[in-house]
Amino acid sequence: MFKKFDDRESVSGNIQMKSSVQKAIKAKLLDQYPYIEAYISSIMPKKETLKIVKCHDHIELLANQSGELLFFRHREGRYMPTLRLIHKYPFLLPPLQVDKGAIRFILSGANIMCPGLTSPGAKLTSVPKDTPVAIMAEGKQHAVCIGLTKMSTDEMQSVNKGIGVDNLHYLNDGLWYMKAIK
Amino acid sequence: MASDVQAPLPIGPQPKVNYPMNVVYCGECTMPTEYCEYFPNYEKCKVWLEKNMPDMFAKLGVASEEGAGEGDTDEKKKRQTRGGKGQVKTKKKAMGPQKVCLSTAPRGKKKSVTVITGLRTFDIDLKVAAKFFGQRFACGSSVTGDDEIVIQGDVKDDLWDVITEKWPEIDDDLIEDLGHQKR
Repeated sequence: MFKKFDDRESVSGNIQMKSSVQKAIKAKLLDQYPYIEAYISSIMPKKETLKIVKCHDHIELLANQSGELLFFRHREGRYMPTLRLIHKYPFLLPPLQVDKGAIRFILSGANIMCPGLTSPGAKLTSVPKDTPVAIMAEGKQHAVCIGLTKMSTDEMQSVNKGIGVDNLHYLNDGLWYMKAIK
Repeated sequence: MASDVQAPLPIGPQPKVNYPMNVVYCGECTMPTEYCEYFPNYEKCKVWLEKNMPDMFAKLGVASEEGAGEGDTDEKKKRQTRGGKGQVKTKKKAMGPQKVCLSTAPRGKKKSVTVITGLRTFDIDLKVAAKFFGQRFACGSSVTGDDEIVIQGDVKDDLWDVITEKWPEIDDDLIEDLGHQKR
């Protein structure tokens, strides 16, 4: 999604968020992410106003007051944390681990194929289809990619072919490189 | 590692960890330091690590040497089974000559504006720079192009001092005077 993203070209504008909208988004996040509740006040303090950054291709980003990007979403989809946020709060998304061989493909933006998720180096947490997940890597501590599952983990194990997780946001893509919004 | 493989992935906040976690990012490839090895310019990352985090570098060195014996053959096998090279490409930074060009352009009969180009080659945020110039010279200043700032009024002579003072990385010699230019 962010492979060809460029913070100079793809951003069409940013606006301060109304507090009512902010409340609604917060409620949504609390609803979607089960572990966020204790930490939401440190992720987005009550007093700060958030910014919405509108980008091309129906992408919206949420940034906090200092301009750090927190969440992104595509069209009317779910808000998903950026990798930088996931690195700080790794529990936000259910983790799936891929084996070593898959890392470099993910880093160049490939979708995650099932064999990379089911081989001995990989680990699965059971999630249904169309859930945002954090992709961890064998032997590494931090997430390498944020993705959306294309099938449930049970299916992944039984089918073991094709795309298991859609790569939305990975290390070194356009969003990762994007600087803080002013 | 054997026990590590069996342990399930942690779900939810870990009791002993303080959030937000502090992650160290490599200054060269911007990734967490553990992913440096997948960056094409790994050598540069190593240099950066050595300079900025000697203890981390030492750890890394030991770990990579340990794994080197078996790791190499492992990787070769994998390369065959998984077609394609999957090499991460570096983003080409347009590393042209770093130079700031100043010129004046006429504006009406007896007034002129100052045009600055090339600040972007130093990774300077033009919007911020334009605002700064406007405040410093008490005049209008705006970003007019991809890499161009126009300051209203002829302030070229002052700019040498102002630029070198504000951005020490720009040397006096890197600022070039293009003289008068037609718009």
